[in-house]
Amino acid sequence: MPKLTIKVDPDLCIGAASCVTIAPETFQLNDENKAYVLDHGTEPTPRTYERVIEVTEDEKENIILGAQSCPTLAIFIYDEQGKQLFPEQ
Amino acid sequence: MHYLIIGGGIAGTTATEELRKLNTNADITIISEEEHPVYSRVLLPHYVKEKIPRERVFLKKETWYAEKNIEWMTGVICDYLDVRNKFVRLSNGREVEYDKLLIATGGEVRTAPFDFAQGINERQISYFRTLADSDHLVTLLSERDASTQGYVIGGGFIACEYINIFAHFGIPTTVMLRSDRFWSRVFDEETGRLVNQRLLNGNVEIKKSQTTNYQLPTTPSILGIGIGIIPDFSWLRDTGIKTNIGILANEYLETNIPDVYTAGDISEFQDVVVNRQVNIGNWMNAQMQGRHVAKVMLGEREPFKLVSSYATNVLGLEIIFVGDTDRSAAEEIVVRGSVLDGGVTQLFLRNQKLVGATIVGRNSDRQPITAAIRDQVDKSDFLG
Repeated sequence: MPKLTIKVDPDLCIGAASCVTIAPETFQLNDENKAYVLDHGTEPTPRTYERVIEVTEDEKENIILGAQSCPTLAIFIYDEQGKQLFPEQ
Repeated sequence: MHYLIIGGGIAGTTATEELRKLNTNADITIISEEEHPVYSRVLLPHYVKEKIPRERVFLKKETWYAEKNIEWMTGVICDYLDVRNKFVRLSNGREVEYDKLLIATGGEVRTAPFDFAQGINERQISYFRTLADSDHLVTLLSERDASTQGYVIGGGFIACEYINIFAHFGIPTTVMLRSDRFWSRVFDEETGRLVNQRLLNGNVEIKKSQTTNYQLPTTPSILGIGIGIIPDFSWLRDTGIKTNIGILANEYLETNIPDVYTAGDISEFQDVVVNRQVNIGNWMNAQMQGRHVAKVMLGEREPFKLVSSYATNVLGLEIIFVGDTDRSAAEEIVVRGSVLDGGVTQLFLRNQKLVGATIVGRNSDRQPITAAIRDQVDKSDFLG
């Protein structure tokens, strides 16, 4: 299964929560109203804005959809080789 | 089959993208008033505050439309619609036929009728809807000096953006409200006080003004106006398309006219979550409706279902609207918290269900409230 690095820039995040609506297993909002990253609904390590997780192709597509929905483009997604999948460059 | 999308914003563009994703062969045309590819209006304050470069606001490249085999017509608006013969006429005189039409034209900025004889220079006035508006504001800000004053007219999301921008650049700010509080049709007194207190702590002067005779000084100033948007229905007259605040639509985002659909800020749709026809002007709603309506246009029969929300902050105080926040449509409003506690949440209830909320300075309320609205839990189960 592919591994993704998912990163939220809290400086850009405004808590619009589109990502939470589309991919709640990967994104939730903290008390500062910023999105943080989950691993399939869990937090195996302390709460963080960046996480590497293993996903199925379907999950990957949905996480990218969640990132695309962000109105401030605050979510960055990289593949195992470190290539930025979103936002497209 | 020709799909015609009127409106190049996030609702129209998302619908276009979804249509192409689901139907590789369809003829798709999108008509955009602005010359740019779709961009994020939500990112415009970040651009004005120099947090991101201008090019970062664009969500698509200019080449995207051609790559996706989408006909993209820019710099034009529709000035006539014939639903019988199924065509629109554009402002450049061209006529475009359709099989299925999506109206996602959003709203026009509401302008303030100023008496320019008072000495206000029209150039000092700033609106904040488009990228061009933002470019103008960037220019005004670049010309500021130590004597520049910021004035804000309005008490909503855009007014908050102006206040934050002026604070960012250290410009002394006065905000002029028609009422004694922000969002006077949504906020109760306590929530209003909480916001006002934050503004006063941030050295923002609040003035109450019933008229547009604002008595502005002639010293160098920037006048930011955020008094809402209004839809343009003029090109829909004689079509029989029903409108109210927005274009009326059912839960499938279909208007009363066959093969004419609507999405985004201009839609007033039957919201199956809160069981009422509502007009919701926020990013999440526009984007999700765009995606949904494309599926309906292709024949899927699922109602649109979303608890949308919008979040902003004013001088660091978080303000969140969830679901249906129309005070006049609520049967009961329960308030939690206070100015002293540093946070106030209003819960809007109807038919024994929670249908909406405003959450100011109490971010942790958001998740359980959103879930309770979505799951339509009984009032007694939520309030205890």
